[in-house]
Amino acid sequence: MLRVGRLTLRYPTGKQALAGVDLDVSAGELLIVLGGNGCGKTTLLRCITRALAPTEGEVWLNGHEISRLSGERLRRARLDVAMVWQHASLVRRRSVLANVTSGALGRNQTWRTAFGGLPPDEVDLARRYLHQVGLPHLAQQRAGTLSGGQAQRVAIARALAQRPVVMLADEPVASLDPEAAQEIMRLLRKMAHDEGLAVLCVLHQVDLAFAYADRVVGMRDGRVAFDRRRADVSHDQVQRLYLAEAA
Amino acid sequence: MSATVAPSGWRNAAAVALRTVAVVVAILIVVQTLIVVQARPQDLITGFHGMVDIVRRASPPDFAKLPDVVWPTLETIDIAIFGTIGGVLMALPLAVMAATNVTPSRVLYYLSRAVIGLARAIPDLVWALLFVTAVGLGPFPGGLALAVHSVGMLGRLFAETIENMDMAPIDALALTGANRMQVFSHGVVPTVLPALLGIGLYRLDENIRSSLVLGFVGAGGIGFELLTAMNLFQYREVSLLLIVIFVIVFAAERLSAICRQRLA
Repeated sequence: MLRVGRLTLRYPTGKQALAGVDLDVSAGELLIVLGGNGCGKTTLLRCITRALAPTEGEVWLNGHEISRLSGERLRRARLDVAMVWQHASLVRRRSVLANVTSGALGRNQTWRTAFGGLPPDEVDLARRYLHQVGLPHLAQQRAGTLSGGQAQRVAIARALAQRPVVMLADEPVASLDPEAAQEIMRLLRKMAHDEGLAVLCVLHQVDLAFAYADRVVGMRDGRVAFDRRRADVSHDQVQRLYLAEAA
Repeated sequence: MSATVAPSGWRNAAAVALRTVAVVVAILIVVQTLIVVQARPQDLITGFHGMVDIVRRASPPDFAKLPDVVWPTLETIDIAIFGTIGGVLMALPLAVMAATNVTPSRVLYYLSRAVIGLARAIPDLVWALLFVTAVGLGPFPGGLALAVHSVGMLGRLFAETIENMDMAPIDALALTGANRMQVFSHGVVPTVLPALLGIGLYRLDENIRSSLVLGFVGAGGIGFELLTAMNLFQYREVSLLLIVIFVIVFAAERLSAICRQRLA
């Protein structure tokens, strides 16, 4: 579904953020990436979505290489990759329903949507996605009034409205309380196992990774340190990732 | 020890010297201002009776003329509304081009900044004179003058508002595959709209005051009536007009403040 090959990003300053990262995520799989601060986790996601242009390497999505695309072809490729950010990044003054529906804008390039209108059939679907994340009762509420956990669930519903094949999540539970964090992780696992999405999630919470991941990738210094099934990963291996950062 | 005390002593002495220089410079600025404006406070005292005489002749206000003032008052308010709406409509696209974070190109950025700067640099009175020459006397050139001059202030403030907005929701929307226009209408507009409306309302308040002055150069409205009454020494009519002006300005300011408060 998603395959990354020899992905490298070197900043003009010479600093290497990614150094030949190889990984793949299959449909129906929840892959969790662990690693210390500055090891390249978020940069990896930003290179996959092409928010950053990688210096070298390839990103294959559904059999298509997307790392060199630009303009309209890049926009179309992005339709298949949904992103959930550390902060929900909702338009605070719009309703929850409008925020969820906006995830489908890329598939509805009409005059109506160009001038702020929402596609009516997508509104019905958005209600269904809101139901899936357990917030149908908040559809008309302004997004700026939501709690952190609610906002993140709306962000997941928006990602679903995009109807992606791959979902990327960048520390989606970083600012949430433990209960809300568990809820978000359960949702991400459900998206992978029940909806068949390839989910790649960057986390700092090792316990959540061990509880929910199908596979765990450890990153250190812009490289993949290990890539194993959850059952094959030891706490020592994970601890070494963070010891390296401390050193 | 002495090595650290000495520089500290020098620093204190330098700070005192700097403060003294600053006070002297401030006093010099005030003195040269008084000289340049030829300030003669004694003239105020000797000429005070002249002011009292005008106030006496202006009392009581000629309320019988009130019906004649209704139309010019409406003209003044409408010149301001026309100018504000026209200014907002022209300033919005210019502001989008003049905001570094959403501008489509560098060339358009500098071009729009230049247009905004030019509109602001030329006073509304000059714009009014230009438009009076083009379309003749009356409220229309006044409205046009305010619209063009408003572009200068609105364009700059709109652009700054767009530049300071939270870009996270905008970036998130762009990464869903939405096109530029969709990102603008679904992300940028709802994010900045309340702030832009607030600025627009503030400008309307300003434009009402400006439209009074524009009447002095033939742009109609209550300003024109005020100038005529003053030229004809009709001081009781002048005082009536000043009361009407006060009511308009005060009401516009309060209304604008209430609306902006609700939008916040």
